[in-house]
Amino acid sequence: MECKQAASLMHDYLDNELPEEQALDLKSHLDKCVSCRTRLKELEQTDMLMFAAVKHSLPSAPDDVLNRIMSSLPKKRRQQAWLGWVKRHPALTAAAMFLLVMLFSTLSIWKSDDQLVVKGPDLDKVRIEGHTVIVPEGTEIAGDLTVENGNTEVYGEVKGNLTVIDGSLYQASTAKIAGDAKTIDQALDWIWYRITNTFTEVAYR
Amino acid sequence: MAELTDAGLVKLARKGNQDAFAELVELYKDKVFHLAYRMLNNRHESEDIVQETFLRVYKNWDKYDENQKFSTWMYRIATNLCIDRLRKRKPNFSLDAELNDQDGTADGYSLIPGDNRTPESEFLISETQQIIHQAIAGLPAKYKTIMILRYLQELSLQEIGDILDMPVTTVKTRVHRGREFLRKRLEHKLF
Repeated sequence: MECKQAASLMHDYLDNELPEEQALDLKSHLDKCVSCRTRLKELEQTDMLMFAAVKHSLPSAPDDVLNRIMSSLPKKRRQQAWLGWVKRHPALTAAAMFLLVMLFSTLSIWKSDDQLVVKGPDLDKVRIEGHTVIVPEGTEIAGDLTVENGNTEVYGEVKGNLTVIDGSLYQASTAKIAGDAKTIDQALDWIWYRITNTFTEVAYR
Repeated sequence: MAELTDAGLVKLARKGNQDAFAELVELYKDKVFHLAYRMLNNRHESEDIVQETFLRVYKNWDKYDENQKFSTWMYRIATNLCIDRLRKRKPNFSLDAELNDQDGTADGYSLIPGDNRTPESEFLISETQQIIHQAIAGLPAKYKTIMILRYLQELSLQEIGDILDMPVTTVKTRVHRGREFLRKRLEHKLF
């Protein structure tokens, strides 16, 4: 073995990375070579001195460094966690946002309407007194009648459905309603009504 | 909190637990400080490095890979910050042209003096230790980082490789050369 190769093995040995077989080779070389023996001794001493000396005599970090670090931390950690979730689930976030916007717009439509609205054919036969829509006795409404934000009193005949939204319905004994008579006064029902109504309207067009 | 392992603390700290984070700072601040002190030879800058390192740890939790050791990740941040500092010092001393080490890369870091408050002047230490510290200070920069990590933190070659983003074989070669360099520096004075 040449001294150059032995030197490389010495370093592996000091790194604790020398396989046993090669360690034996190195040992047999060292037995013969004085200068390599000296070299290994010096290298070992270097390592020992370094491990010991490098740690010694080092000042520790100043005591207030912890406080300085803790007070310099940004405060918005919680928001960041929330944002992290949003970033990880873009599709869910988009869907949630869509639903939220839809819900608010529907609710705002529902809330803002407190005007009396009457829909249907033959509206000239209907009498309106304040917030009350009256179908007088003897009159005939040819189709569906819808009343929003008002009370309804029926004495005559409605040939289609009668729907009352956010109001009460009074049917006199003389009243005849050929279709369904419904009162709707909850947001959810109202939304459902809107949706089904849209579908039936679209279907009949 | 004392009985928690590193991994446990890291998990809590990542979730935003400030106490766990403070505990991590407490555990590692001196190690980072020593590393910076050995690399920069300047107390003020080393304090800055400690602060900056933990701030970056805090801000970059989402980039931390839990399969990695926390200390490896933290040392990587700290050494990068130190190397940046050394790089910024460079323009003030254009020593590059005159120095060439074996690999053909030039750097004059070893000749750049830190401030006067080296460990030697702040703490009265033996002549032997002074010789050793001078030998470390005299190491070319690319060996210096590796040797400091090796001797100061007692890390394995693999860990040093992970910290510096270097193949283990490179780390190994540099440790060998660094050790030889130190041996020669100490040869006539101590052996």
